[in-house]
Amino acid sequence: MSHFIIHVGEAEDSFPCKGEQTVLHALASIHHKQIRAGCHGGGCGVCRIRILKGDFVVGCMSRDHVNNEDEASGITLACRTWPRSHLVIQPMDKLPVRLTRRFSLLQIIPDDRVNSSRDEDVEAWRS
Amino acid sequence: MAVMRLGHVRLNVLSIEEALTHYTDILGLIETSRDPDGTVYLKGWDEWDKYSVILAPSDRAGVQHIAFKVEKDAELDAYRKRIESYGLEVEEREANALPFCGRSLFLRLPSGHECFLYAEKQFVGKSVGTLNPDPWPDGLKGAGAHWLDHVMLMCEVDPARGTNKVAENVDFFGKVLDFGLAEQVVAGPQGEIQAAAWMFCTTTPHDIAFGAGPRAGLHHISFFLEDWSDILKTADLLAKHRVKVDVTPQRHGITRGATTYFFDPSGNRNETFAGLGYLSQKDMPTITWNEENLWRGIFYHTGDIIGDFLGVYT
Repeated sequence: MSHFIIHVGEAEDSFPCKGEQTVLHALASIHHKQIRAGCHGGGCGVCRIRILKGDFVVGCMSRDHVNNEDEASGITLACRTWPRSHLVIQPMDKLPVRLTRRFSLLQIIPDDRVNSSRDEDVEAWRS
Repeated sequence: MAVMRLGHVRLNVLSIEEALTHYTDILGLIETSRDPDGTVYLKGWDEWDKYSVILAPSDRAGVQHIAFKVEKDAELDAYRKRIESYGLEVEEREANALPFCGRSLFLRLPSGHECFLYAEKQFVGKSVGTLNPDPWPDGLKGAGAHWLDHVMLMCEVDPARGTNKVAENVDFFGKVLDFGLAEQVVAGPQGEIQAAAWMFCTTTPHDIAFGAGPRAGLHHISFFLEDWSDILKTADLLAKHRVKVDVTPQRHGITRGATTYFFDPSGNRNETFAGLGYLSQKDMPTITWNEENLWRGIFYHTGDIIGDFLGVYT
């Protein structure tokens, strides 16, 4: 059983992921603050990440969220991505930020999973 | 003249094999037909028409169209006139354009979702038949879902731009298709934004629901189970098969239904729903939930704010 290390961005943030585990599944246990979990089936697109370094395989993903161009540039969904080496990944922009920007019914959720460096964008928009 | 019920939904799935296993082995729907391209037609054991769910292979998830069954073929002509005079485009499609169905009307709802009206669909019959039937058939798989109960669509709402497709759909379904408005959520400082709505053509609190989001999509399709113990047992089954459960068994304030939410293998949200809720009639006053009580309406026991429940959809 292969055991890989996933590094998130340039930070020292990292977590282990087995070869038969999806990146999202490995993340779920640590509630990573910058990557959201959604449908776990490649359909909703909230767990978009970019793979900066390393080998991986992907399963079916909705082209609404990862088109061919995205895929070629290393964008994938964490729920449909299995590592084949250590990986360096980068979280992509997150749905709650876009949602709160456009629709005030959905308040910022008091959950550290969805706080991000982009929360200042939301604050700026709300004020 | 009346829309009788939600006749079917056509779902896009990323893997037909995985989807079929999910909808037959776990939900207990029954395969009734299959196209050469892999498209599969399914029904619940308690339904009598050929299908209520179409699974279509696709490179994206979500709903391709929804379809309502009207009572008589001649009504399609009347609905066509009504839709046109309301100001929406409508096309008549010949018989079998919707597989196993008579002629149909095709339109795009104000929210952009594709919708059909049809009057005839091939009859198959309930699994228990109609002569001295048993209450349930042998050989059911999984949850043994009775029927497709309702669908919830996400509709674009952006107060800053004055866009509210929830309200536009409600207006259309009320004025043109004679649906009743059972419940609504209102938001904004004066409660001026209709942010969600539950509408009916049968006697249950909803046959279709609309929720507000940044883009059009599918929030969930829901299947009827008899009671709370079926809801609980189905949740056991989901756990046993490692299906991604979104919301564990509980009660909605809105519609009073008992519920469990989970995702199919393509990420389309499913619900198993039990209970009548209450008797809905056209003269019943609409129930309103304000923004502060939105989450109590959705998750009645805890009232927890679970933003992903509205933010994650296909």
